[in-house]
Amino acid sequence: MSSHWNEAQAPSDAARRADPTNGEFADRLIAMLPRLRRFARGLAGTATEADDLVQAACERALTRRHQFQEGTRFDSWLFRIVQTIWIDQLRARRVRKEDAEVGDEHLGSDAPVRRIEARLGLAEVRRAIERLSPDQRTVLMLVTVEGLSYREAAAVVGVPVGTVMSRLARARIALQQSLAAGAARRSTTDDQAR
Amino acid sequence: MIKHGDEALVAYLDGELDESECERVAAWLAADPAARDRMAALAQVTEWVRGAYADILDEPVPERLIAAARGAASSDRAATQDAEIVVLRPRAAGAPMPLRRWGIGIAAAAALFGLLLGGGGTYLGLRLLGPGPAGAEQQVAAQANDIWLDNAAGYYKLTVSADDMLIDVPAANDANAALQKISQRLPQQVRAPDLKPWGLTFRGARLVVAEGRPAAELVYVTDNKAIGPLSLVIGATKLADISPTIDHRDGVNLLYWRHHGRAYALVGRADVGYLWGIANDIAWQLDAI
Repeated sequence: MSSHWNEAQAPSDAARRADPTNGEFADRLIAMLPRLRRFARGLAGTATEADDLVQAACERALTRRHQFQEGTRFDSWLFRIVQTIWIDQLRARRVRKEDAEVGDEHLGSDAPVRRIEARLGLAEVRRAIERLSPDQRTVLMLVTVEGLSYREAAAVVGVPVGTVMSRLARARIALQQSLAAGAARRSTTDDQAR
Repeated sequence: MIKHGDEALVAYLDGELDESECERVAAWLAADPAARDRMAALAQVTEWVRGAYADILDEPVPERLIAAARGAASSDRAATQDAEIVVLRPRAAGAPMPLRRWGIGIAAAAALFGLLLGGGGTYLGLRLLGPGPAGAEQQVAAQANDIWLDNAAGYYKLTVSADDMLIDVPAANDANAALQKISQRLPQQVRAPDLKPWGLTFRGARLVVAEGRPAAELVYVTDNKAIGPLSLVIGATKLADISPTIDHRDGVNLLYWRHHGRAYALVGRADVGYLWGIANDIAWQLDAI
């Protein structure tokens, strides 16, 4: 642990705090938090995971703020950070084969949220989105929910515009089929209950 | 060039086609009822997706995320918040230092854990057997407590993962000076308990936010990975006193209690047996028991 808490890092931290523009940067970051949480919720399966993702993204944004180019979109830059961290986490999970454990753990903590969502009829849509591939989920959230153009979404994800277009189309078709199938199942169940 | 098909319909819906492509898709839709049905279905899906995440923008943002966004720069702003001032009660003169304060070693913690867990279990049992959950006030308190614990766990994870980047006041060689500095930005004086008998070294302090007011997160490190790192969050609270209670959030253990307007949470990945022993030590040192 001693190497983890490296003394040599303290001066750079002090220098960072002394920068008067830090407050302005933080304000912009805070203003983006609701949208970052929404984007992260679309990527991660649960509210807890999503907030952890946003927290990690904030930390990274602060440490790499010098990489942000004024004049470019701040939201796109942050979305890219969130997406990158999320992909890293997915890869790490695959290696550790933790998917099942994490899912079980979070189902419990999110139970009240899930109940409310179910009541509002949102749970099914979110579950269907969770079943999409990570690539499709990302572009769907960026374009459909966050309102980025195809070109902006392509820049965030680092793929050609045509790829964004095809992922979006496949995502919406998959959702439409999934939700239609769910509606058909409910209808059958309701008929049998009568 | 976009050919007719789902991609064209989706791009049309998103307003991503140029004028000529738009006209072509519009003509196709006018001539083909099946394409119109397909378009309607895709438009419906788009609305469902937007609706599924619309409410998140209205949710209150957790304090831990605001603190994370402020990073180390949070100090000045948080300190200016309208904060309730709570003065730490000094230890009564001549009050005996508990024997276990100095006498306990890490090896003895397991035995202590058994003893203390008995107490904690009794407390928890009484909670369960006591009056049932009452009205909205209790629910609000429970919710506030829940958020507090989430934040404490979040702060811990953030601090550990960021190495020293988020330490506002490194302890360096003078822990007291470090605490003096951070206390100037807090509504109350904070002292760092001495946890050297546990092999824990005070690393520094961060200014965080708890119950909307500035609070201190004291960070302790050790080479013993079975114990550290640990953080101790100390903040002002309006909630009622509560006995030490164990919780677990997202892979992190917490032992929290409230005493005379102050809330404490000892946070780490150490076994709860260690946490019990260390928290007990802290409570004696800070006169928070």
